Amino acid sequence: MVQTDNLIFHYKKKENHIFKFPDITLNEQENLLILGKSGIGKTTLLHLLAGLLNPVSGKVMIEGVAIHTLSHWGLDKFRGQHIGLIFQKNYAVQSLNIVENLQARLFFSRKSVNNKTIDFFLEQLGLKDCKKSKANELSEGQLQRLGIAMAVIHGPKVILADEPTSSLDDENCEMVINLLINQAKQTNANLIVITHDHRIKPLFSNSISL
Amino acid sequence: MNIWKVSQQNIKAKPLYTFLSVFILALSIALLFGIQQLETSLKYQMENNLGAIDLVIGAKGSPLQLVLSSVLHIDNPTGNILYEDAKKISKNPLIKTAVPIAYGDNYKGYRIVGTTDEFAALYHGKLEKGREPKKAMEVILGHTVAEQENLKIGDTLLSSHGLVENDIDLHSEYLTVVGIYQPTKKVIDRLIVTNLKSVWEVHHHHNNKEEHKKEEDHLQHHENLDEGKEITSLLVSFRSPLALLTLPKRINEHTNMQAALPKYELEKLYQYTGIGFKTISWIAYMILVISCLSIFISLYKMVKERAFDLALLRTYGASNFQLIRMVAYEGLTIGFLAFMLGLLLSKAGLYFLFKMVQTQYKQNMLQELPYQQFLQTGALVSILILISISLAIYPIIKMNIATILSHEK
Repeated sequence: MVQTDNLIFHYKKKENHIFKFPDITLNEQENLLILGKSGIGKTTLLHLLAGLLNPVSGKVMIEGVAIHTLSHWGLDKFRGQHIGLIFQKNYAVQSLNIVENLQARLFFSRKSVNNKTIDFFLEQLGLKDCKKSKANELSEGQLQRLGIAMAVIHGPKVILADEPTSSLDDENCEMVINLLINQAKQTNANLIVITHDHRIKPLFSNSISL
Repeated sequence: MNIWKVSQQNIKAKPLYTFLSVFILALSIALLFGIQQLETSLKYQMENNLGAIDLVIGAKGSPLQLVLSSVLHIDNPTGNILYEDAKKISKNPLIKTAVPIAYGDNYKGYRIVGTTDEFAALYHGKLEKGREPKKAMEVILGHTVAEQENLKIGDTLLSSHGLVENDIDLHSEYLTVVGIYQPTKKVIDRLIVTNLKSVWEVHHHHNNKEEHKKEEDHLQHHENLDEGKEITSLLVSFRSPLALLTLPKRINEHTNMQAALPKYELEKLYQYTGIGFKTISWIAYMILVISCLSIFISLYKMVKERAFDLALLRTYGASNFQLIRMVAYEGLTIGFLAFMLGLLLSKAGLYFLFKMVQTQYKQNMLQELPYQQFLQTGALVSILILISISLAIYPIIKMNIATILSHEK
C-alpha cells in the first residue's frame, strides 16, 4: 500500500524550481509505471517515496505509516525493512562479494541471514555460478540481476526502480521487467518503476506521466 | 554478516593502503618504544650501578673516564695509584667505607677485579654458591659470567693481560672458581672478583716473564712492586654528606690523585646523551602524528571515495551510527595491528642492538619499559587514532544520500 498526498518539493539552492507531484494511490499487488522526460523530477519523486528526501509539504504513506514523520533512526529502519531500491546502474558494495552483499543486505534490514534464501534467489536469478565474485567482476546483465536480488531478498513492501532498463537491449529489458513484476508478486509488494524508456510501457497496466 | 565483518572486508579490499598505514604507524610506535626503553635502560644502568659509591679516587685524568672505568667498568682506567696513598685517605673519619679495586686482566673479555670482600656489598651482591676467596688466585664469578661461559665452582680459568679479550697475552697461572654471585642486574654480574693479592701476584709473575727479555726494565719494575703496591682506584662511600664539600677538593688539590663524583659525572653524561634522546623522541612523535594523519586521510578518502557504497548501505537500512562504527572498526584495526607490529619491531630492533652492545661490553643492559610508560604511549597512540577516526567520520554525518545516489549515475 502506497499513497502520496499533495507532494511538493524544491531543492534548497533552487527555491523557485518547485516540483509538484500528482497523487499516487496503490493498493495491494498494484504496480505503477511513472514516465517522464529527464529533469522532470522522476528521481526526486523516487527519493521522496524512499524517504531519502523530505518533502516541503505533503505526505507519503507506506503500509499506513507516514514515513516522513518517523525519526531519523526510525526512517532508516523502516527503509531497510520495507523498501527495496533498484538503481540504473546496479551498484553493490565493492569490497564484498555477491553472497556477502546479500548477507549485508539482510543484516542491515534486521532480517535473519538465511543462506537458503540467498541460494534460492541466486538460483532464480542465474547468479549461482558467481557467488564469490566481487561486484566489479560482474557483467552488466549480472549486475542488474544482483540489483534485483538486493532489492527483493528482504521481502519489502515497496520496490522502487529508477531507470532499471536504460542500459539494456530489448531482450534483456523485457526479461528484467518481467523478473521484477514476478518478484513483486511473490513477495506481495508494490512495484514502482520510473523511466523514460517507452519500451516497457506495454508491460504495465497502470502508468502515469509527469 | 555484521558490521565488523563488513569493515574487515573493506580493509582486505585495499591491502596496499592498509599495509602502508599500518607500517608507518608501526614504525613510529617502534621508534617511540625503542627510544623510551633505551633511555630507561641507560638511566637504570647509570643510577643502579652507582650502588653506594659516593666518590671514586684514582689517577689523574678525565674524571668521566675514571667513573666509567671504575664504576660502570666500561672504559679504560686513567692509570694506577699507590695503595699506600689510598689507604691513608681511607682513614679519614668522613669516610665510611673505601674499597680498593685493581685491574689488569680479563677472561674472555670479562674484567677481573682485584678487591676486598666489601666490594660485593656496594652492589648488595650475595653469594649464590661457594665462598669468598681466601687466598690468591681464587675468584668469584658474576652471575652472567658463570652463565655465559658455563663455569662451575672448582673450574679453573686462564686470564689474559689487559682489559680486552685476546688469546696471545695469556697468563700462565690458573685462577680457581670458588664462588658465584646471585644475579643483581648490576655491573657485578659481568665481573670476575678476586682479592687484590691475585692481581698483584699475576702481574708480579708477568713482570718476571718480561724480565728475561728486558733486563734493564727488570730492576725498575721490581723496585716499584716492592716499594708499594698499586691499585686502580678507591671506591668511597661517605659517612656524612659533609664529606662532599671538603674531601674531593682536598684530594684534587693536595695529592697526585683525583677524586671524581660518579653521580655528578654520570648526570653530566646523561645530559649530553639526553639531548639526543629528546631529539629522537621528538622525531618519533612527529612521525606518530604524521602516521595518524595518514590514517585519517586514508579513512577520509575511503569515506569520500566510497560514498556511494555507504549511501547504498543506508538504503539497506544501515543507520549513520552503524556506518560510523564500520569506519571506526577499520581505524581501530589498523591502529591495533600497528601497535602490535610496532611493539614487535621495537623488541626485535633493541634485541639486535643490545646483542651488539653485549658482545662489546659483555652485559645485558636491556631494561623492560616500566608499565606506566608503556600505558602512557599506548594511550597517546589510541587518542591520536580516535581523533583521526572522529575527523574521518564527519562526512558520514553530513552525508546526503539522495544527492550521492542521483549524482553517481
